[in-house]
Amino acid sequence: METLIGYILLAGVVLSMALITAGLVWHWLVTGRLQAEYVIRGTNLLGFAVLAVRQIISGSFDSRTVINLGIVTLLLTPFVRVLASVVYFALAEHDWKYVVFTGVVLSVLTYSLFLR
Amino acid sequence: MDRKHYGAVSVISFWLLAAVSVAAGFVGAMSGMGGGIVLIPVLTFLGVDIKHAIAISIVSVIATSSGAASAYVREHITNLKIGMFLEMFTILGALTGASITLVSAQRPLVILFGIVLLASWATLFVRRQEDYQPPTEQDGVSRWLEFHGSYYDQAVGQEIEYKGVRAYIGVPCMFGAGLIAGLLGIGAGALKVLVLDLGMRLPPKVSTTTSNLIIGVTALAGTSVYLAAGLIDPGLVAPVMIGVVTGALIGTRLLVRLSNQAVREFFLIVLLALGVEMLVRGIRGG
Repeated sequence: METLIGYILLAGVVLSMALITAGLVWHWLVTGRLQAEYVIRGTNLLGFAVLAVRQIISGSFDSRTVINLGIVTLLLTPFVRVLASVVYFALAEHDWKYVVFTGVVLSVLTYSLFLR
Repeated sequence: MDRKHYGAVSVISFWLLAAVSVAAGFVGAMSGMGGGIVLIPVLTFLGVDIKHAIAISIVSVIATSSGAASAYVREHITNLKIGMFLEMFTILGALTGASITLVSAQRPLVILFGIVLLASWATLFVRRQEDYQPPTEQDGVSRWLEFHGSYYDQAVGQEIEYKGVRAYIGVPCMFGAGLIAGLLGIGAGALKVLVLDLGMRLPPKVSTTTSNLIIGVTALAGTSVYLAAGLIDPGLVAPVMIGVVTGALIGTRLLVRLSNQAVREFFLIVLLALGVEMLVRGIRGG
């Protein structure tokens, strides 16, 4: 389980770093400035993630979208980690009390992602 | 967009921000905390207002946590079951804290938190010369929860076995630690390391690395509140995240080589600094 969780965390970190760096470099190439100046309007994490993905799919995105996607990826890494552990405890270890424990964490996190 | 806090953040500051973030990530990964102790004072010094600084710090905690834990978990030092069990309570505490933060008085809380930290520091400081001894007995609840483990300690070249005890203390204390983190937006790790170390008698390395794992989830619970309030500033968050992850990964390389004693001593220094910082901030009203 350590290997699974460890690599999920590593993947999330590496991917998000790559996205944020790519977005910053793109932004710098376009504007000549490293400081990206924009705000994230009041939203919850899910809305934020969906917006970024929609922009990518529709093809109309800029460096800020890439940066946002990087930020989202990093924020969601612990969430994915908890999700993976619920599945792992259920399917691999059949440790039902830990399915419940991690399930509670997952539920509370999910609720907070939808919080407005 | 409030341009006030951009006045002081120019291109020079981008690199300063990144450099400070590396330091924050390093300190966080080595102490089991989130790095806010370094980040928040520097951000406010650069002209960022305290609410934005806290929001950025909370997001950086997730980065530190994921970066540090990605290494510690793979090294099998973090105790996943203890971490995942206690996470339940920290996260409930964090959500509770974040939601009542609007109606609570900040300054007395910050001062109180500072006092608690300094008292804890004193307790741990008195004990600092004691070598780690794993507890010989374990209460029934902790045993049922499977709170035992072992890790390979590079500093002594041995596999160290340990048991976690007194889960019944860990539970309410973790809720309290989460509550404070959600209320004040800082202090995710300090109390958690103390609970794991003093309360549940885990080896310092395990306490630190398990705390690193827990704080990510705790911070994530609180993030939504700040995101909804529009307080998260990507222009500042982006370089901070990169710096923090870099620093955290460097910190993990060092911690695995240190002795339990050294890890504890580093934690003591950071704990003292954090306690003083909280007292000063509470008294000054910043």
